[in-house]
Amino acid sequence: MAMKPEDALRAIARERGDAVCVPTMTTGPAWRTIAPDDLSVGCVGFMGGASSLGLGLALARPDRRVLVFDGDGSLLMQLGSLATVAGAAPRNLVHFLFKNGVYHTSGAQEIPGGGGVDFVQMARGAGYRAAYTIADVGELERRLPSLLREEGPILVELHTGLADKTPMTDRGGVPFPEQVERLRGRLIAS
Amino acid sequence: MPESIPAPLIIDTLKDTFREARAALAAEGVRTRHEHLGWILSVPDTHQKTVLAALDKERALRVLTCSTEDEANAIAAGLWMGGEPFALMIQHAGLYASVNTLRGVAMDGRVPIFYMIGLLQRERDKEPRESRHSMVRYCEPLLDLFGVPHARLEGPDDVRFIPEYYRLAQKRRGPAAVLVGLETA
Repeated sequence: MAMKPEDALRAIARERGDAVCVPTMTTGPAWRTIAPDDLSVGCVGFMGGASSLGLGLALARPDRRVLVFDGDGSLLMQLGSLATVAGAAPRNLVHFLFKNGVYHTSGAQEIPGGGGVDFVQMARGAGYRAAYTIADVGELERRLPSLLREEGPILVELHTGLADKTPMTDRGGVPFPEQVERLRGRLIAS
Repeated sequence: MPESIPAPLIIDTLKDTFREARAALAAEGVRTRHEHLGWILSVPDTHQKTVLAALDKERALRVLTCSTEDEANAIAAGLWMGGEPFALMIQHAGLYASVNTLRGVAMDGRVPIFYMIGLLQRERDKEPRESRHSMVRYCEPLLDLFGVPHARLEGPDDVRFIPEYYRLAQKRRGPAAVLVGLETA
């Protein structure tokens, strides 16, 4: 059985330390409950941009680990970002891909290619230093400490079910410009 | 009549612009973590190819070639949050391709993104709005529609618009653009 995205996020939250996090789409509502801090910025309103947003943060602040919580439908919208990330080669970037095979927010229509799209192969082909598949939360918990120390960029494809909430069913949270401002404030002060 | 602008002049102006930006960031308390002055986020523009060629040999500016202009906008937001100066070098067609990200990141996100946009195929003897090429004709009206301030670089004297519009983007916390009128020399 696929892991619950909320369980995966809770496991990551326990291990992240002071890593900057970039959730998008269905990881957004859960993450702001699990980690309600100002070291995160959601990719909201420009679907597919999470990996690039994370890349900019990682390049600007090589002293910080940056964790992206991407979606499979989202990544397909800017698939070229895999090559851009690989080319820039940020050692501090971990690209988690929450793979549920559907566009959850719009009614769970299957993504092009459905669950068969192999993002791990794509990331390796693009030039990521490493890419892994993890299908259960126990394995994720075991491997997280080393994954978060590993030299990036790495992609970790997580096989998940659907989140309890989506940005459409839970519209709360700090508006994007305020998230940007808060995170910038935290980063430039440290 | 417009004139082509030499690549070294554009690069020197960008360096000066980034030096000023670094000084402003330092005044904000931002510690510099990089040796280079700033970032050029580029989706290669044929119109600015001499600048791109010269940038290949430039160590003071770090060039990151992006697959799409959407990516360049989002990377810019990350760099800005991390306290880094940057400029986007794209083409008008790339502006059209990335309108949603311009809106979502630079406008709604209030990220000060400075764009250098090449007007490929702009005719020397015509105002861009009168061009027979739609990709030239629609660029300024599109920026106007979105309320993005812009100036056109029509010759070497106009490189002053580079720092001016960079500063304007910072001041208004949003997008600002200069349009490269003729292919750079």
